[in-house]
Amino acid sequence: MTESDQAEKSSAGTAAPGQFGQLLSDNGIESNRLPDSCGVETIEVDRQQLENAVQRLRKSPEAVLDLLLAVSGVDSPESYDSVYHLWSTSKSGELVIKVRVAKSEVAPGELPEVPSLARIWSAANWHERESYDLVGIRYSGHPYLRRILNPWNWVGHPLRRDYKQPVDALNDKNPVSFR
Amino acid sequence: MNSAVFEIGKFARLTLLWLCIIFGAVWGVSWSIGVLLPAVILSQSGESGRFWAQLLQALVPVVAVALFVPLNTCYMVLAERRLLALFTVRKGPNRVGPDGAFQTVADALKLLLKEEITPRGADLLMYTLAPVIFFAPSIIGVMPLLAAVSGNHPLFTPVNLPTGVFYILAVSSIPVVGVVMGGWASNNKYSLVGALRSAAQAISYEIPLLLSIITVCLLAGTLDFVQIADNQRGSLLNWNILGGGALTHLGIGSPWWSIAAALLLAACCILLFALYVICACAEVNRTPFDLPEAESELVSGFNTEYSGIKFAIFFLAEYTNLFIVSTFAAVMFLGGGHAPFPGLEDACISGLRGLLAAWFGACTPFQLGWLVNSLVNPATVSQVFWIIVKSYALVWFASLIRATLPRLRIDQLMDYSWKRLVPLALILLIAVTFLKELV
Amino acid sequence: MVPEMTEELRANKLKTDEMLINMGPQHPATHGVLRLILKLDGELVKHCEPVVGHLHRAQEWQGQNRTWFQYQALIDRVDYLSGMFTSWALARAAEKIDDVKVPLRAEYMRVIVAEMNRLTSHLLWLGTFGIDLGAMMGLPFYPFREREELLDLLEAIAGQRMMFNYIRIGGVQNEAPPGWFARLFKFTGSFPDRIDEYEAILSNNPIFLKRTKAVGILPRKLAIDYGVTGPTLRASGVALDLRKVKPYSVYDRLDFAVPVCNRDGDTYDRYMCRIIEMHESNKIIRQCIEQIPGGTADVLREKRKACSACGKANCPHCGGDLAIMVKKQNAGLRVKAGEGFAAVESPRGVLGCYIISTGSDTAYRIKWRNPSFSNLAVLPELLLDHQIADIMAIFGSIDVILPDVDR
Repeated sequence: MTESDQAEKSSAGTAAPGQFGQLLSDNGIESNRLPDSCGVETIEVDRQQLENAVQRLRKSPEAVLDLLLAVSGVDSPESYDSVYHLWSTSKSGELVIKVRVAKSEVAPGELPEVPSLARIWSAANWHERESYDLVGIRYSGHPYLRRILNPWNWVGHPLRRDYKQPVDALNDKNPVSFR
Repeated sequence: MNSAVFEIGKFARLTLLWLCIIFGAVWGVSWSIGVLLPAVILSQSGESGRFWAQLLQALVPVVAVALFVPLNTCYMVLAERRLLALFTVRKGPNRVGPDGAFQTVADALKLLLKEEITPRGADLLMYTLAPVIFFAPSIIGVMPLLAAVSGNHPLFTPVNLPTGVFYILAVSSIPVVGVVMGGWASNNKYSLVGALRSAAQAISYEIPLLLSIITVCLLAGTLDFVQIADNQRGSLLNWNILGGGALTHLGIGSPWWSIAAALLLAACCILLFALYVICACAEVNRTPFDLPEAESELVSGFNTEYSGIKFAIFFLAEYTNLFIVSTFAAVMFLGGGHAPFPGLEDACISGLRGLLAAWFGACTPFQLGWLVNSLVNPATVSQVFWIIVKSYALVWFASLIRATLPRLRIDQLMDYSWKRLVPLALILLIAVTFLKELV
Repeated sequence: MVPEMTEELRANKLKTDEMLINMGPQHPATHGVLRLILKLDGELVKHCEPVVGHLHRAQEWQGQNRTWFQYQALIDRVDYLSGMFTSWALARAAEKIDDVKVPLRAEYMRVIVAEMNRLTSHLLWLGTFGIDLGAMMGLPFYPFREREELLDLLEAIAGQRMMFNYIRIGGVQNEAPPGWFARLFKFTGSFPDRIDEYEAILSNNPIFLKRTKAVGILPRKLAIDYGVTGPTLRASGVALDLRKVKPYSVYDRLDFAVPVCNRDGDTYDRYMCRIIEMHESNKIIRQCIEQIPGGTADVLREKRKACSACGKANCPHCGGDLAIMVKKQNAGLRVKAGEGFAAVESPRGVLGCYIISTGSDTAYRIKWRNPSFSNLAVLPELLLDHQIADIMAIFGSIDVILPDVDR
């Protein structure tokens, strides 16, 4: 439980920026600090700034967040989140970046758009495809945005809260049935 | 440790059982067609039956091979599976029959009854012909070996060619045509890759194989199997693997260069044998060189699409080829049907003779003595026994290799042949030519 | 007049078609159901596209539609060769959110079973790696002999051979049966010799060296760029082992080394890394057996029998750090609201679990960060311009488990 030792509990999003948030604001990139997730600094970055911010965090010698662990799509009550877990291979730094697209901004029938990191960070490629597949976040600029876990002709995004299952994937007459 | 000894005992029992089945059957059938039936015909119809009697005798090698090949494959597959199990701390097939003795018979029956599938887009004629072309050479190839195996038994003398070695080498290059045909006709990319690999491999490994065999023929001075085997009579030191008798000529008074040449010749011949074993493994597609099949890469290589009896024929041919290659090595290098130590062979023969006299002495009153004597000729039995031991020892050695080594990659395989084996074979050929004269 | 045979002309004349070939989903060497769409030029791979998802079982969907208690039993299937680690990742993430302090004895038990699980996983990998390289018959069965012993032990303690469901949120499921520790200790005594046996077959085998050395070189930068972790990354020279870098559980009390290669790793380095890791895991298990508070299960059982104050919270033998479970395991299991990410070092790399909980009996979102998923993504880069036979060697050496990729 060594990670939680240096955890400073912050109560609201208006708290003072943490180590990485400070680094970003020093470089002129705005970020919004969110409640820490179990002692790990969590920031929200505007989607236009995402690419910039990630590049900065990856390259700058103080941070060296060079390991993109995962890109998770989350269908939150108010927004679609794309969550990036960054680690450092040479230092002990950890950071969670969230990019939020409010549900009110997304037109019905459209998918929320978040800029893709796949061009600059190969690790993001498959994770973004997975997030697109399961949660339905469109990563603009992705080189090969295609369903990865579900069949290529699958309808819907299963991890959406409003997702309706096909009646019975094994036995019915629906077109994606396995029979 | 104890369980391993136990398993080895089981394996020995299985081997004994199967050898009795194989050679008993072949022996019995050959004898009844070649000796008993002609005798009966001649005694019934006199001179007019001579043609039929001769025809029957001429058929003996054919019948013997047709019987021997499937039975032998049954045993070899079973032995290989049991041995692999032994090497890899498992039990192996042990359910069908006593200790699983008839597992392969059941497997063969299963294969015969299975549905035969022809893939869509396959070239039916080529697809059907491929296993036949693959299998035919192995049947033809066994023939000249029969004389050597049976110690030039009168029934098998007709198939002993004066150029038997040459004949087998010629025949052994045909199967690759079958492989390429099968791989191409299957309309499967894996098969095609496997077939092309096989072609490349067969061509590259045939050259060092040929060179090593030629060198032995040079040493023996003949292409006749029976003569090559007879040249190695006497003891271990006369075997071609130790220089074909170069060491036995040495005495206290021999000049130093003669001793050195003889020793060098023996070393060269051991190398030749190693060369032969390596190339033979490649020729019959055994592990480290099983690239045409390469299960983990090409699913099953050239025979991926084959099923049922066609697959069975491929399987049969592969194991028969392995046996031919082993027997070939036993004749060429390991003294054929001769025992490794001088006294052993005579002891075998005289012991058998004594046994026969004790058992069949009672038959003589009925004038059947000569019949029995031609059924169990002590000299032939001793010959066959020794050559079987040597051939199967090599077959088991191939199983050991299979249980140990990973597979080479295709480019490494070609490199190994062209850059290492071919030069080595050429050097050995020249060295043996000169050393032979110096001894 | 015959035109002169220029280099260009020759190249045009010898131009061959590329062959498109599907390797998998049913293929003996794709470790499950991976489909590789390969573009081959002769035997050389010119392009490779992995198609995954054939084993997708909607584990994340089930995570948010099953109760915590139900879901614990399912997650061993995420990576069926190292079920302990998936359980552990989920338990750690949930415990972090829930602020649960896991008792020390339970932590030691977790480390023991997890390291055993690492051994079984590496042993299976070693066997299948042999198969991938064409040692179809011999090698695979020797590691399986030892794996069988370990699986018997794991079955004795968890009740199952593969889907253990042993590490739970708040501790571990049960105490070891009588004689278990003695058996395990005896096994760890003989195991290093067994590893030497495998090495005797492979490590100096010229064919093996030819097939693995300088094949599938994974440069350090590329590995980090793709998020490759585990032995595959360490073989490429990055010392990222969570047990050392971010020590969790009781790893900081244990003495073990992490093998790191000092150059860009090839297939052989990845093999060697795992071999050394097996030695280290064996060491860890031995240390844990010696250090575990309360002694082995048999000793503790005797002490508890003799202890009259049994059942009281302040009993030195029964409560506190000697308990193995601090949360009630029933359908009412709940995790406080919050979000958190926890990772463990699985045999394949960083196995992470990202949980968003709203405090109800199911999770709001569970996201798995599977090492195989990221490790597999680098495969097309590694395969480029290698031969068909090397596909198996390289794919085997990065040790991908398809259910772990597909979830």
